[in-house]
Amino acid sequence: MSTSAATAAAPVAVKERPRLSGFMPIIALVALIAALTVADPDFLTQRSLTAVSRTAAPLILLAAGATIVVLCGGIDLSIAALASLSTVFLALWIPNLGGLATLAVIGVATLIGALQGTAHVLLRIPSFIVTLGGMSILSAVALVVSGAGTVRVVDDSTVKWLDLYVAGYVPMSFMVAVLVVALIALLLKVTPLQSWVSATGYAESAARLAGTPVDLVKIGAFAVSGACAGLAAVMLVSRQFSGGPTMADNLLLPAVAAIVVGGTAITGGHGSVWRSLAGALVVTLLRVGLPIVGVPSAYEQILYGAIIVVAVALTLDKSKVSIIK
Amino acid sequence: MTVTTEVAPAPRRSSRRGASFRDAGPPVALIVIFGVFAALSPQFRSFGNVQNIVDSAAVLAVVTCGITFVLMMGSIDLSAAGVMGASALTVSLLVANNRNGNDFGFFGILAAVLLGCAFGCLSGLALVLLKVPSFMATLGVSAVGLGVATLMFAGVQPNISDAALKGWAVERFLGFSYLTWIAVACILLGWLIQRYTRLGRYAYAIGGAEEVLTLSGVQVRPYKVAVFALAGAFYGLGGVMVTSQLGAGLVQAGNGYDFSAITAAVVGGTLLTGGRGGVLHSAVGVLLVMVLTNGLVQVGVSPYWQGGVEGVIVVAAVAAAVIPQRRRNQVVK
Amino acid sequence: MNALEVRGLVKHYPGVKALDGVDLVVRPNEVLGLAGENGAGKSTLLKALVGLVSPDQGQIFVRGQAVKLRNVVDAANHGIGMVFQEQSLVPNLTAAENIVLGSEGAGVRRGIYRWNEMRRLAQEQLDKIGSPIDPLARTDTLTFAERQMVEIAKVLRIEQRSQHPPVIILDEPTSVLESKEIETLFAQIRRLREFASVVFVSHRLDEVLDVCDRVTVLRSGQSVGEVATAGAVPRELHRMMIGSTGSDDHYHENAATPVTADQPRLSVRGLSGKSFHDVDLDVAAGEILAIVGVHGSGREDVCRALFGAEPTTAGEIRMDGTKVDLPSTRAACAAGIGYVPAERKIEGMVGSMSVADNMTLAKQKPRLTGPFVAPKKQAALVDSWIKRLSIRTPRRDTAIGRLSGGNQQKVVLARWLIGGDVKLLLLDHPTRGLDIGARSEVYRLMRELASSGVATVLLADSLEEAIGMADRILVMNDGRVAAEVACPSGGKPSPLDLVKEMV
Repeated sequence: MSTSAATAAAPVAVKERPRLSGFMPIIALVALIAALTVADPDFLTQRSLTAVSRTAAPLILLAAGATIVVLCGGIDLSIAALASLSTVFLALWIPNLGGLATLAVIGVATLIGALQGTAHVLLRIPSFIVTLGGMSILSAVALVVSGAGTVRVVDDSTVKWLDLYVAGYVPMSFMVAVLVVALIALLLKVTPLQSWVSATGYAESAARLAGTPVDLVKIGAFAVSGACAGLAAVMLVSRQFSGGPTMADNLLLPAVAAIVVGGTAITGGHGSVWRSLAGALVVTLLRVGLPIVGVPSAYEQILYGAIIVVAVALTLDKSKVSIIK
Repeated sequence: MTVTTEVAPAPRRSSRRGASFRDAGPPVALIVIFGVFAALSPQFRSFGNVQNIVDSAAVLAVVTCGITFVLMMGSIDLSAAGVMGASALTVSLLVANNRNGNDFGFFGILAAVLLGCAFGCLSGLALVLLKVPSFMATLGVSAVGLGVATLMFAGVQPNISDAALKGWAVERFLGFSYLTWIAVACILLGWLIQRYTRLGRYAYAIGGAEEVLTLSGVQVRPYKVAVFALAGAFYGLGGVMVTSQLGAGLVQAGNGYDFSAITAAVVGGTLLTGGRGGVLHSAVGVLLVMVLTNGLVQVGVSPYWQGGVEGVIVVAAVAAAVIPQRRRNQVVK
Repeated sequence: MNALEVRGLVKHYPGVKALDGVDLVVRPNEVLGLAGENGAGKSTLLKALVGLVSPDQGQIFVRGQAVKLRNVVDAANHGIGMVFQEQSLVPNLTAAENIVLGSEGAGVRRGIYRWNEMRRLAQEQLDKIGSPIDPLARTDTLTFAERQMVEIAKVLRIEQRSQHPPVIILDEPTSVLESKEIETLFAQIRRLREFASVVFVSHRLDEVLDVCDRVTVLRSGQSVGEVATAGAVPRELHRMMIGSTGSDDHYHENAATPVTADQPRLSVRGLSGKSFHDVDLDVAAGEILAIVGVHGSGREDVCRALFGAEPTTAGEIRMDGTKVDLPSTRAACAAGIGYVPAERKIEGMVGSMSVADNMTLAKQKPRLTGPFVAPKKQAALVDSWIKRLSIRTPRRDTAIGRLSGGNQQKVVLARWLIGGDVKLLLLDHPTRGLDIGARSEVYRLMRELASSGVATVLLADSLEEAIGMADRILVMNDGRVAAEVACPSGGKPSPLDLVKEMV
């Protein structure tokens, strides 16, 4: 076959430019730390960095899990409600199950995630409506199970390890969160999952016509999202010594903001869990940083809202959707 | 290939202009469910309870009126909670209250409605100018609304002392509270807009076939923004009504209304894909949701389940609505 | 003066020249037929006439005036309107609203609808074509033929805008009509001629000859002739549409190997679905079977059904004698079936992903060690196929969207070959949008695959392609197999033999 022309052309070709947007979350993170240090020289200390990373841990997990769903082109709005429900379950089960309660809660959360994914693919309901419905149902279950009150954990010895510090100043919860992100990233990278997830997110019909197990991939994505919410719940309980039916509810907006600030496109395909890790840190720093620069924390919500809209507008793959609803 | 679906002759309905068989589902369901609960619980079928159901449906009906127009376009609106919070605080700080010396009365209410309108505008602009999908844009705007409300709240709850506004929730006309009559007026207004204005008809058409409108030379973007603004105005009024009920302005005034309104609209027969349904459908949907939740409480189910019931019915209603359109290789995001 | 004139219109798309200097004249009060095969440039020309496509070169004259048409409204203001092939009505509005959409005039005052006025305006248009449709009926309650009348009424409204006799373009209006409805439509067209000019597009030559005064024939983006229909014969027109085959062995016929299989590789009996009924077909190993048929013949859906992408209601599919069940595309892949979709950019490839990822998407096994991706194995595999198919790409991790159409298509084809286990390939318009060189390479590849024993089902872009490539041709009409024509090398049927069966 006449291949000379093709192969000859290959080495000459210029190396593709890495997309600048890939570094944006990191740049934002560094800029933010720098700005906060300027505003308050005391900021860049081991103590406040430890506090930031500890605060960020559950958010990192929630964002990382939901990122997989977003990469597949969907969205999971139930993560915060699922985490709240999981805190209630954990608090209720610790007295009987002890250490096993953690595993049981993560298992149940995974199942609930998978169940939502199954409803999404089998009933052909848009993911945001399934998870919006799921959010409502899970909140109701949490209210009923907990009797609409906080469930105290008397003996927290089984979850206390998550609230310890490695080498004295790195929070264990942060380590675990980073470890989970690394694990998900590795799993995607070394298996066909990466191309399956991306193909599903970028071009679902093409993926399906290439025989990609699109349905299973989506269900799996929701399951991972559920598992991450469960683990985040364990962290919250280890920190608060209690579970509550609305404990994690206010983490939904920051988690969504973290995903889009990281640069994962809401249209699917483009993005990664590492980006969401960076995004979660940016969001946490903003939250911690507002009082430092003298802005009342009431502006936090406004900031999240603005961030979500602007970040989505910047990362959206506009070529893909001609009509935006 | 696509034409093949069109070849099948469209089923002719008995009446071309009137309600179709599909539209009859929700009202029938309403009657059936009402009948079942009435049979199960004597408490439920008392006149006082019926009055109670209708009165408690008022705010939801107004909010649903607004969201229906957005859903008709095939978009979605999650901003009701935030917009209602902001408008609740606005009205409670502008009418006679315990926080400041304002006493603007009716103009305070108007300002709150206009604020809602402005928030709606914001969502619409984010959609058409920044091309942010509506569920994301409105999620963001909702957060902004809650933030604005929190700022106005400033840690001290404003209790209202404006007699007229307080009277809305208390005083009755023909057995129903003023709020109910306001809701009825809103439904009527919504129906008129939907039936007799270009805005309403285009909102409907955008949900039916947006590309055809563009092809016919219609600029759809201003209409999209206007629809979101209209919806925002309804949420603003909803926030005012909640304030009247509570006698105070709370940030959480609109908590849960966004989802309940979507549920009511969807159950009433408005498609999430747009192009079908309407204000009257939604009014039936509101009553359905209220009867169901009230009935369940009357037969002894914990009120905490309310959200759960709504979640189940919204998923079920959407699933039922997409069944006729199912095909293999369908892309569902 | 001519109602409409086009001079030297040129339009390039990446890799193809859709229009290559087209000339066209439409006189007042005449029905002009526009004939040409798929890909001859008909649709691009029509789109240019209503402002949906802006030509790279050339001019459009309306009543002697050179005009620039920027959009549909612009065209309407100049008195040009089109009845689209895919109907362009809003299904959930009334017929009246659709007719006046975008130019409601007195029907809407200050944003408020005046339904009586609206009804009157619509009735005015419907009266022009004498249609009995109720203007306030919801559009989706009307039949297809009725909707077409609404659409014509809608186009007629441009008369009010330009104050001149309009030019009305009908794009394949008959493709899904019953013969009685076609009669009604033709009566309408003759009525329209009284006060307008009509451009009638169809690939059914008998219809063109029946209703038109004059026919212009397009071939590969050029006007190749003009015939007065009085006394014209279909054979003559058809010769003009097809022309002579360009190169000597464009289809690599000398590489064709005779089919020597005793048992069919794919055997389909009584397959029925939504748009096709009772389809029987056999394909032997090494054989290329082309299915031809007009728009709406159901051939695309048959092809998708064979890949599990379209549900079937009855019938059975056997591969090498064993019955297979195809509930999903996964099952089809597992059964050794490969599919190259017609819409390459949307369904064929994942534009943002690399050549390597696209190539290994369907068959993961060759690049895995255990459950893990082996980067070296993948690199060697992908590079070897890039070389074998001479895919011109800078690197294997270049995004496939940056390649030319032909190279993209080769990657999509390679996807099914890397596993080495593909038994049946379904090619849905594999050369659509490719230039002549790329086409030739795809043809050569198909020949190679056939000689290596792969069975192929081909939905060709043109009759010429089907005849050139296939060993056997199945003609489908209205969802059923109408005829089977042997097509061996050296004994090829003529396109006319096929056209006879297609309509």
